[in-house]
Amino acid sequence: MDFLDRYRDIVPDWEAFRAIQSRPLYSSARINTLKIEREVLLERLTEEAVPYRRFDWYPLGLKIDVESPGKLVENLLGHIHIQEELSMVPPLVLGPIPGENILDLCASPGSKTTQISAMMENRGLVIANEPSLARVAALRSNCERLGAMNVAITRYDGRNFPRGSFDRVLVDAPCSAEGRERRGPGVLERSNCKRSLDLSVLQIGLLKNALRLTKPGGVVVYSTCTYAPEENEMVVSAALNEIAKTNESDEAEEPTKAHLERVVIPGLQECPGISEWNGRDLGREMSLSARYYPHMNDTGGFFVAKIIKS
Amino acid sequence: MSQRSSRVRNVFLPLEPAAVAELWDSRFGIPAEAFSGYRFFKKANSIWAISDVELPRLSYEAIGMRIMNCKDRPWKPTTAALQVFGKYAARNLVHLDADSARIFLEGKSQEVGEAAAMECEPGYVVVFYRGEILGCGLYSHGLLVSQIPKERRLASRGE
Repeated sequence: MDFLDRYRDIVPDWEAFRAIQSRPLYSSARINTLKIEREVLLERLTEEAVPYRRFDWYPLGLKIDVESPGKLVENLLGHIHIQEELSMVPPLVLGPIPGENILDLCASPGSKTTQISAMMENRGLVIANEPSLARVAALRSNCERLGAMNVAITRYDGRNFPRGSFDRVLVDAPCSAEGRERRGPGVLERSNCKRSLDLSVLQIGLLKNALRLTKPGGVVVYSTCTYAPEENEMVVSAALNEIAKTNESDEAEEPTKAHLERVVIPGLQECPGISEWNGRDLGREMSLSARYYPHMNDTGGFFVAKIIKS
Repeated sequence: MSQRSSRVRNVFLPLEPAAVAELWDSRFGIPAEAFSGYRFFKKANSIWAISDVELPRLSYEAIGMRIMNCKDRPWKPTTAALQVFGKYAARNLVHLDADSARIFLEGKSQEVGEAAAMECEPGYVVVFYRGEILGCGLYSHGLLVSQIPKERRLASRGE
């Protein structure tokens, strides 16, 4: 687990951060308002003596203390969806509005896709993109179980997703998943800086295309469940720099500009994104993004950046 | 599978909502208005429904929810579709009590009394428990065969 040591200077309260890695994460679920009202669902859980606690920060989030929450009848009927606590953050930052056109570029297994669909009350359109056929099966199954009726699935390589003019695009990128250690130890053993740098090439490509596919004034949310700055702030910084450069070389096109907006979720404690890493300046703007560490909210780890296309 | 057949497989052809509504009306007595907020597509033997929106020109793997399978006669509604549209159904409904609901969710067949399956014609039925839709069943001569997909079944007690 010593790979985490390279984050010693950026993570506050280092000892607590190290200590919590070996503590398993509780199960959590999101109430699916497409199929049931929150109060009715809570009554059902009480009736069936399913022990739960509500999230402090999100009315639809529940911590559920049972061994196999996926086998609960409420989950099988699509009244709840088993979803990690922080995984509910990116759709809230994205802020979809009923009737809009949304692209979820890396969608499977569809936890965030279906949360977006529920926020839109099944109105408007969510394009859920997932290149892998095997992973599309889980995505489809979750959309159908949860009653998401405004989702269409495509299978493009996200870097080459061909066209569109979306109000909002979510890039929940493939990542080294260091923030998932509490869900299944072993993630960190596979982590290393080279792997993060390899992934960042893909991540930058995804984010650049997402920015291209967004309407002026639209929102792009970039998220990962990892700590590596190579996959987080460095990706956002590189993508913003590269789209600005593309414009300079192509005089025919209007310049594409984009800026970050601060990510804050009331009730969740975040750390600002880092502006410098290993002596490299990433731009002060990166502090507007949010880093979520497991020991600060008793969760997994996550990174979220909100980008507005000008 | 050849390239050609996989291309054919992936073609979604638009369908008139009225054509879909008529099928659901004749089996379940669901009024056509229940389908007015959706668009329908046919792909191979399946019919799909999505909220009524303009779809951008893309190559789709799935458009909304697969609501019916028309491979065999009679056509079969999916459990997911019944959970959306079944609440408007006026006939071919089965109401279960707690114990039989559990058996149904475990994917098992069971005898159901006449009171539970009032005036059901043989064929696919909407299965309810305390006013809520559990999914699709196949009813014939007092026997209810659960059509709950395997991955959505409750584990049997004692297993």
